[in-house]
Amino acid sequence: MSHDGHHAVVIPAPGPEFQPHTVAHHFDTPVQEFQSAKLGFWLFLATEILLFGGLFAAYFYFHEMYPETFRLGGKQLDWQLGALNTAVLLASSWTMAMGVRAAQTSQKKLLLRYCGLTVLGALIFMAVKFVEYSAKDAHGFVVFADLFAPYDTATGQIPWFQDYDGHMAGVPHGHLFFAIYLTMTAIHGLHVLIGAGLILWIMKGAAKGRFHAGYYLPVDLVGLYWHLVDLIWIFLFPLLYLVP
Amino acid sequence: MTVHDHDAHAGSGALQMGHHHVSSAALFAKVLVALLILTAITVGASRIHFGAANMLIAMFLACVKASLVMAFFMHLKWDTAINKIVFFGSFLFLSLLIVFTIADQTTRRMDGKWHVQKSPVQYEWVHPRLLTDKKD
Repeated sequence: MSHDGHHAVVIPAPGPEFQPHTVAHHFDTPVQEFQSAKLGFWLFLATEILLFGGLFAAYFYFHEMYPETFRLGGKQLDWQLGALNTAVLLASSWTMAMGVRAAQTSQKKLLLRYCGLTVLGALIFMAVKFVEYSAKDAHGFVVFADLFAPYDTATGQIPWFQDYDGHMAGVPHGHLFFAIYLTMTAIHGLHVLIGAGLILWIMKGAAKGRFHAGYYLPVDLVGLYWHLVDLIWIFLFPLLYLVP
Repeated sequence: MTVHDHDAHAGSGALQMGHHHVSSAALFAKVLVALLILTAITVGASRIHFGAANMLIAMFLACVKASLVMAFFMHLKWDTAINKIVFFGSFLFLSLLIVFTIADQTTRRMDGKWHVQKSPVQYEWVHPRLLTDKKD
């Protein structure tokens, strides 16, 4: 008997390589625990949509204001690297969905393999991102060393936007496109790194046999987070790399 | 309970998190292939000049891709009504933000009286609409 007079609810392990799951004492049933956590997580994902939503609104606002700046800015990005990263992220979303499926069907090794592949996808994505950012730094579109240097009010010079080769010379406020590009892709990249960390945490639990057909809630939730990262990128890719 | 050819249900055991939909591997593979094809179409469509329609085409294709991810990878097709309402609700409120921002942006008159959109950085810069839109 627990302190509140209830028996602890335990979901049995489906096999010797798995662990049973004890339902948290503030829930009466496993279904209640699952549905509560799912609702809470969907609420969190809704806040994520609103976080990125503000940035998308800023994108549309400035795109409408300076369409030529955005078209020329988009041409400075490597759409092939963007397309490659799109394919990598879509494929990693697939491996994550297959990972959740492996957890639902109590296939421990398969779960570990698909999670490993998803983390690999995250690493490839970030490596490509690094190559991209280096090129932007080399052209002076985003001078990372001066990212937080103070703005010179006398000359109007923005320290992080140097545009060494004058690619953006013909359009007003070339820095606007790169400010939006950097803010959106950096916050998205941060989500990729957090997602990869969460999947590694899932792998740790999976190795111990915590997740199986009876209890796979954390795998499901981390999967949803990873798909959200994919969802955001689906909109970022055409808006930034193929500026319409 | 209807079981489709690609459906199975996890956990027929007594004590589970409840009955949950398990999609088939074939369904997930089809979704991935569709997403990659739609990405190729997105790139292809961006190469053709449709004018203002390019933005609508790109956003329409992105919405189709996002719907596939949400419905199948995120299992929203089989999720509870409350979870669907919560998530789609966020898109509803986001659309309010974007629609009213763009409505404001596109209906402002830059007729020389309202200089509200002058750049704070380069005061000599003039909004392109001032130069091109000479109507009324």
